[in-house]
Parts: sequence; structure tokens; C-alpha cells
Amino acid sequence: MRLGIVSAFALYEIKRAIARKKVLMLIAFVLLLDTLPYYALATSSAASIIPSYLYPYIWIAGVLIPQPLFIPFVSIFIAAGAMSEEYEQGTAELLLSKPVSKMEYLMGKYIGGYLLLLLILLTSNIVSLISAYLSFGPQADVGILPGAYFVNAYASLLFFSVAFMVGELLRRASLAYIFASALLFASTILGFYMDLIYTLTRNEFYATVQIYLPSSPVSSLPVQYISSNIPSVAQQLLSALPIGGSVEPSILQSLFLILAYSTCATVILVFYFRYADVSRRVS
Amino acid sequence: MSNNKVIEFTQVVKDYGRKRIGPLDLSIEKGRIVGFLGPNGSGKTTSIRLVLGLIRPSSGSVRLNGFDPIKNHIEALKNVGYSPELPNIQSFLTPEELLALVAKTLQLPESARQEETRRVLELVGLTEYAHVKVGKLSKGMVQRLSVAQAMVGDPKVLILDEPMIGLDPAGTAHLREVFRSFAKQEGGTVFLSSHMMNEVENLCDYVIMIHSGKLVTSGSISEVTRRIMGSLAITIEASGLTPALLEKIRKLEGVTNLTFDGESIEKIRVETVQMRDSAGSEIDLRPKIVEMIVQSGAKLYTIKPSDNLLESAYIKALSQSEFAEVASQ
Repeated sequence: MRLGIVSAFALYEIKRAIARKKVLMLIAFVLLLDTLPYYALATSSAASIIPSYLYPYIWIAGVLIPQPLFIPFVSIFIAAGAMSEEYEQGTAELLLSKPVSKMEYLMGKYIGGYLLLLLILLTSNIVSLISAYLSFGPQADVGILPGAYFVNAYASLLFFSVAFMVGELLRRASLAYIFASALLFASTILGFYMDLIYTLTRNEFYATVQIYLPSSPVSSLPVQYISSNIPSVAQQLLSALPIGGSVEPSILQSLFLILAYSTCATVILVFYFRYADVSRRVS
Repeated sequence: MSNNKVIEFTQVVKDYGRKRIGPLDLSIEKGRIVGFLGPNGSGKTTSIRLVLGLIRPSSGSVRLNGFDPIKNHIEALKNVGYSPELPNIQSFLTPEELLALVAKTLQLPESARQEETRRVLELVGLTEYAHVKVGKLSKGMVQRLSVAQAMVGDPKVLILDEPMIGLDPAGTAHLREVFRSFAKQEGGTVFLSSHMMNEVENLCDYVIMIHSGKLVTSGSISEVTRRIMGSLAITIEASGLTPALLEKIRKLEGVTNLTFDGESIEKIRVETVQMRDSAGSEIDLRPKIVEMIVQSGAKLYTIKPSDNLLESAYIKALSQSEFAEVASQ
């Protein structure tokens, strides 16, 4: 594997993704999501409901709220089209007819897409922090933000890898978006029902199913990390956030589940891409 | 495999389930400009994609520069430039950015990339569009850019799938010259698929015809046309041709017919049959005819295979091939 070629494809993928209007719109939406709620909270009567001792921790809301649904959604939009759009537009053929290996091309696109996601996540976290500061004054325990960022980045790998694999297997961008998004929403909704049934019946089976759903570790891990690194007084804020259920995987389980799902998706992706023909332009 | 062979197919089959290409055997030697002919759906693009290692053969073996393009993709594709049919080039890039990316994939040193980009843009006449997004270029310009990206890094083999589509006559003539000069370099090989018979006749020195993924015939244009049509027609333009000289040419061994091409005595059409010497080599009557014209004092302007000869041969070959296919079913 030649790093120079991998990095050339990575840069190419970032440029390609940014050139797509839907990705740009999502980035704009992320920025709005990280600024408007703070502004609305700070300028409305709702600000008086929030105890003032929680003001220094309000940045946590901006870091955690997009994680269960919105960041996976951005991951899907970046990853699902990375391979499939190149087949649809017939551009994969041009690049793969060069003296490069399929793995260099695949790795470059995977890394490029993931780097773009990390950049969006970083921007989202920084904008959240700035918005919290401007709306609610100085923020506390900001030192855990880098850790929270890496945990979020790790958690985002799951749906990114799954969507990347789906894009390669289906080779139709819209189908890949729909399928990967359906997986995310179905998993989230199913998790909600499993949690509800478990709460009512205390039947462990439903708790187990909820833990192993792909959306479960993605939403739990960042909360668990932040929860274990902030003072007890700020825990009140976490419990008020609409994240997580009554049953959650442990940190280790979350780490393992994210790794397992991402690895499985990547192995299938690599295997399929290596052995399948390069599709001709399809639309 | 002989070192002289750039592309070699041995009993290659590509089975798509609904459609099957092959078994196909063909080889292309270094230094040739080869026209790859066949009707729509005959397997030309599939064959090119097999050569480039973009798809796997169901059976048989493909070699490019002596390597299996699937197993040794990088080695096989070194020194090979490819311009796809109806090129779909990344519309968000500028020609300069695309060529820089291609130069990176070829691992050209950073210092040489800019110069190489400038060279190929100039070669295809796109210098002034270097910074315009591909999405804003005309179809013909995109086609030229596609050829430009194939020529980055000074490859030894050019594989071109319908390279003249979408080009105006000036663009076509320009690219024809580009391909000719490319082929003049030592070992420069051009393999192009095209439906434009005139282009192939003008540019190529060797043709391969396929039908339903099977080889119909291959050889130099004169060999192929003579083999299919049974004769080779030559058009001669000269002034000062006398009836006596024409009679002498008509009586040459191997000449089957001599007619005036149009109304003018200064343009004649000579039909010849294939003849071989004792060693089995083909005897070309053209040098003999040229000698007779020059010795008679007439002024010879041109001597070339008659227009549309390849097209006629192509149509005849395909109809024979279709007939054979139907008969074998």
C-alpha cells in the first residue's frame, strides 16, 4: 500500500464530498443545530428553568444531542455515496484504470470520507462550546472535550462503516442512503420499544436486544464517557437530555460493539470490492 | 508470450448470465495503431475493460504488458493510458486538478507534475481551460480532456474507447495527429475502438473485427479487405495517364479490373487479388504500379486503398458472421 496514493485519493474524496450540495447542506444544518438552540434558550424564559449552577456545563448538551441521530445521519450521507456515486457517474472506471491497487483506492476514499466526518464533528463541538460560552458565560470542565470528541469520533465509525459497505454492495446511491438511514432509524425506534417493553415487563431478553442494536452503543458511549468525567452536580443535566434508555451497554460493551459492527462491515466491504467487477455507469 | 505482444487474449470468456462474450483470442503487437471494430454489443468495451483489469474473465487468460491485469494490476497498467467511452470525468474538478490527480496516481515526482499537466493540456488544445470546472466544458472538450489524462506520464500504450465521439472535424483531425505522433515514438501502441470506419481507415495500420465477442478477422487493412472482399481496390490519382499505360496496368498479373473513378481519366480504381510469392509472403502490386506510372512520365499524386473499402469489408464480414452464427444454431 503506497501512502502517497492513498492520501491522494483521501484528498480527492474530501473534495468530492464537499462538492455535493447535500453534504454542504448537512454541514450548514450541523452549524445551525449548534448555535440556534443556545441562542433560543438564552433569550427565552426557558433560561430561568435551567438552574444557574448548570450553566457552566451547558456545552455538554451541544456535544451530546447530535450524537445519537444527527451525526450518524451525516456519516451515512458521506459514506453511502462514496463508492456508489462513483459507479453511477462512471468515474470509478477512470481512476481504477490507473496503476493503483483497489485497496489503495478503497482506503483513500474510506479515510477521506472519515476525515471529513471528523472535521464536521470537530467543527460541531467547537461551535457548540463557543455558542454555550456566548449564551451562558464561561464553561467548566472543558478539558474533557478532546476526550469526548474522540469518543464521538469512535462511535461515529459504526454507521460510517455500515453505510460505506451498503454503498459498495448496492452501488446505487439513493438506495444506499435509504437502506443505511432505514437501518439507523429502525434500530433507534426498535431500541425505544425494547426499552419500553423491558421497563414494563422486566424481561431481560428485551434489554439484551436493546443493548446489541447498533444505535445503542453509538448513543451510550459518549454519554458514559462524559458522565464519568464531570462532577455529580452536572449529572442532572445529563439525565435531562433526551439520550439513552433505562438499559445501556457498559463502556466496554459499547467499545466492543462499535468495533465489532465496524469491523464486520469493513471486512464485507473489502472482500466484495476486491472480487467484484468495477461496475459501468448505471444512470 | 512474445515480448512484442502488448495485449493478448487466450480463449477469454466473460459470462454475464444473460449475455456471453467469447471465447476470444487476439493479440496486439507493439508499435501498431490498431482499430477494434464490431457492432454495438459485440463486446468491444467489455474486452477493453478485461484488458484494464476492471472486470474478471469467467475463463481464459488476459495479458497486458505480459501481466495479468487483475493479479498484477499495477505492473500491467504501468505505461498504459486509457480514455473511456463517453468519458464521465469528475465534474467538480478542473482539468488541471484532474491531471494532477492522475499524475499522483502515476507517482510522478512533484516537480514534474506541473510541467506534465501543462504538456498534455497543450497537446489536446485545452491550455486556456485549465482552471475551468469540467462540468462547464463542452462534450468535445471533455473528450479531449479524457485523452489528455490518458497521456499523462508519457505512456507506451494508449487504449481508447470511441475517442472521436462528440468531436468537431477540427477536433477529430487534431486528435488524429496526436495519436499518429504518439505512435511514431518507439514502441508506442494505440488500441482504439471506433464505429467511424473512415477514422480507422485513416489512422490505423491494423484492424481487429469482433462479433458476439468472437474474433471475425484481423490483419492490416489491405489484408483484411482483400480477405473479405476477395480483392483490394486501389485509387490512383495522377495526371498524364495514357490509354497504353492503363492497358499495361490492366494486364498486370493480379489485377482483376481497372475502372475510371468518376468522369476523370486522372482518377482510376484498380482492383487486385491477393497473390503470394514462393515463400508465401503477400505480393503487393502497388510498388509495381507506382513504378510503371513514374516511368511513363505521368505525375502521380496519390495512391491509396479506395474510400469506404473497410466499411464495405466490415459490413460484409458482419453479415457473414451473423449468417454463420444463425447457421450454427
